[in-house]
Amino acid sequence: MSIINYAARVINFKVVYYGPGLAGKTANLQYIHRCLPEDNKGKMISLATGDDRTLFFDFLPVSATGVRGFTTRFQLYTVPGQTHYNMTRKLVLRGVDGVVFVADSQWDRLRDAVESFRNLDDNLKEYGLALATTPHVIQYNKRDLGAVAPLDYLEYLLNRGARRVPAFEAVAVDGTGVFDTLNTVSRMVLVKEFGQTQEARA
Amino acid sequence: MRIHDLVIHESDAARIDAVLLRFLSDSSCLAALLIDRSGQPLAEAGTARTLDVGSIGALAAAAFSSTAALARLLGESEFSVLFHEGVKESLHVSTVDDNTILLAIFDERTTIGMVRLFARETCSSVGAILAETRARPRLVGVLAAPLTAEETRRASDHRPA
Repeated sequence: MSIINYAARVINFKVVYYGPGLAGKTANLQYIHRCLPEDNKGKMISLATGDDRTLFFDFLPVSATGVRGFTTRFQLYTVPGQTHYNMTRKLVLRGVDGVVFVADSQWDRLRDAVESFRNLDDNLKEYGLALATTPHVIQYNKRDLGAVAPLDYLEYLLNRGARRVPAFEAVAVDGTGVFDTLNTVSRMVLVKEFGQTQEARA
Repeated sequence: MRIHDLVIHESDAARIDAVLLRFLSDSSCLAALLIDRSGQPLAEAGTARTLDVGSIGALAAAAFSSTAALARLLGESEFSVLFHEGVKESLHVSTVDDNTILLAIFDERTTIGMVRLFARETCSSVGAILAETRARPRLVGVLAAPLTAEETRRASDHRPA
């Protein structure tokens, strides 16, 4: 749910990194936090368990160059991926403008990815949203590991809606694909909010 | 449940600020923050010292949401007030409307009873203003025309240092 404040000249968007446990959602935010210039990021907050698993969410506010005199802020959140935290995932999705679905590319984690993707769709419906009309991208993470499924197969599993969405191969811990993912979902959120001139789409 | 986008025009922001300032004066609170339940800050008053409003908004909204979920598990629609007592400063959180909460930060110069009393009035006044803002057009003035591709690119271009 975007919030436009004409007095403060700020536009806020909420982007949620969703996906199964240990897929690398927190690693995405950690890399972004590590690499962005100070002026373009706020403090990163992680509500995690003792063994560094996300308990509630991670939160990182970031901003790029504004638009027409307005600052555009993207509030990045992760959800806890573990199956039994569904109520918490649902809470974090409240007011979401864009979603990054992070999947672990390894063969033995694909079932979890498919289940989590369905869970995302179900939870969006609780807020009257549909995945098809919510800006989202898919990130196939951990591409550096050995037993990973080929891209075509991952696309067949997770990116088979009426319109295919942008998908990225990534190694979140070393930053590969992390900013491509963030910039693309940010662009999709902006275009959905404001529209884009016809000539620009060409 | 459908969550609606929100726009705050300049005239509405001035009215909200006036209500929050009156609340600070009446209740002797140190600061008041208006937060959307998705975690995004909408307005603030009295934050003389630098507060990390973004982080406070995210955490307070999360605490309020999880408490509301707890309430539902107990058969309540929600707990409409949250109170966190600190050694020097305390936090009072109350419901403005279905999408918004009011945070009041206060110290020993006032009491929880005073805060609660004036927060109730403030929530009602702010809620009425927000009901009007939600009915207003979203994209006006410089934001009325669609973005160019270059504007979109720049506003979404996050780059490592």
